Amino acid sequence: MKKYAVIYRSVLIESLQYTANIAMGFISYLIIIFIFIHLWDYMYGTPGTLIAGYTKEQMIWYVMLTELIWFGTSSNTVTRQASMDIRGGNIAYLMNKPYHYTLYILARYIGECSVRLPMYAAVSALIGLTMVGSLAGFRLITLLAALPCILLGITIHAVFRLCISLLSFWIEDANPFHWLYNKLILVIGTIFPIEIFPEALQPLFKLTPIYTVCYGPAKLLIDFSVEKYAEVLAAQVLYLAAGCALMFFIYGKGVKKLYVNGG
Amino acid sequence: MSTAVKNELRVCMLSVKYNIMREMLNKVTFLTNILFMALNNATFIVQWVILFSLREDIGGYALRDVMLLWGLAASTFGLAHILFARAFSLPDLIINGKLDAYLVLPKNVLLSVLTSQTSVSAIGDLLYGLVILCVFSLSIGRFFLFVLFTVTGAVIYTAFALLMGSLSFWFVRAEMFAGHMTSSMVSFATYPDGIFKGAVKFLLYLVIPVGMAIYQPVHIMMDFNAGRLLAVLGYTLLLSAAAVFVFYRGLRRYSSSNLMEARG
Repeated sequence: MKKYAVIYRSVLIESLQYTANIAMGFISYLIIIFIFIHLWDYMYGTPGTLIAGYTKEQMIWYVMLTELIWFGTSSNTVTRQASMDIRGGNIAYLMNKPYHYTLYILARYIGECSVRLPMYAAVSALIGLTMVGSLAGFRLITLLAALPCILLGITIHAVFRLCISLLSFWIEDANPFHWLYNKLILVIGTIFPIEIFPEALQPLFKLTPIYTVCYGPAKLLIDFSVEKYAEVLAAQVLYLAAGCALMFFIYGKGVKKLYVNGG
Repeated sequence: MSTAVKNELRVCMLSVKYNIMREMLNKVTFLTNILFMALNNATFIVQWVILFSLREDIGGYALRDVMLLWGLAASTFGLAHILFARAFSLPDLIINGKLDAYLVLPKNVLLSVLTSQTSVSAIGDLLYGLVILCVFSLSIGRFFLFVLFTVTGAVIYTAFALLMGSLSFWFVRAEMFAGHMTSSMVSFATYPDGIFKGAVKFLLYLVIPVGMAIYQPVHIMMDFNAGRLLAVLGYTLLLSAAAVFVFYRGLRRYSSSNLMEARG
């Protein structure tokens, strides 16, 4: 594990040099949040309305938190870079190093997120408190309790995105699959909480990565309960184990297909 | 004069044609990109079906109108990225001194730059827009208006990207700013203008030109008004002229990096 810690630390230090670039990304985040504040303002109409059991403030905070996970983890390392390593042949130089390629990519990804996510979290808190107001019943202990779920959620997200990128061993461009996976997460888990969908579909969504990546962590911050906490944590551990097994399996199969053309 | 214009247009169309032919070398990837982009856009129908199950109208729009808005936004984005995809990565050319290859061409520099790249997935966006129109609100008049506004929207969108991208002639850090500003246009374009109030509307018509590229055209298609149509056409010409002017002013400040590379 020590070698991955070294990779993580070096990427973390590197990312700290580019905080100004990361801060430029706040523009897109602010615009999205701005649109959703207006949208939900319009949808709620009169004060005191509940939609799917959520108050207006809870709904906007939910979107802000899921978008925070979305923007705070929007790194090319597990998507474009991994695909390009495979397509461009760079993987030939990386696979014979004394580390596992997939874990190397994940260590880099977590290093980048360690800088991005806190920066976006600070901006979210600032906008939320000034434009929406504080969440009723929210306590700092909730944030500390939900932190492992947030970290597990972003790791699961990275593992699944890396699995898709590893498809580049077979297909030239894995991007179209990334689009579909991203939209599944975005439309079903990020823009709305699961409760807004028809009851018949909700158990189905709980089986998808949406539940562990964005809905679970955000729901815990909005409306914490010990039962929910245990449920989300158990689902995340299972999902992470299954995702990692899938990732190693695809990588193991993929490298056997690798052709080295010299150079 | 007209022969020169015809020649320029012919070269532009040939450039786009060869861009697409190059991408078609791998047919499976080419088709997957188009199909999956259309599917990618279609996922947002779920979002609007859910929202309209909560309220009958959103910002004065019914589901059919929002689909028209989405269709126009997709086809506008698609056409701009089919014909002028390079406008959206202009800062990279400026900062890394890659404009040299275009400066020595015996044709118009700006048009050569703009048409030197095509995004294949954008074909999926364009087709999605047309399919949405056919499914949700097709009529002969609306079809012609849709095509016209796809063109004006694509020109406005490209001109805005060109304006933002040209800032890199003056400021090195403008690259990321330009990217975020251009993508903000897409973010706003997929939500009804009726949900925004007050000063925000001013922002959407004068700072980010989504009002004239998408909102006004949708209003015209819903309820035809010749005056508004002329305003959209006039705005398109004005913004294009401003973008061309700023690009050429900026080009005077351009310095080569002596980079030797073959154009892809």
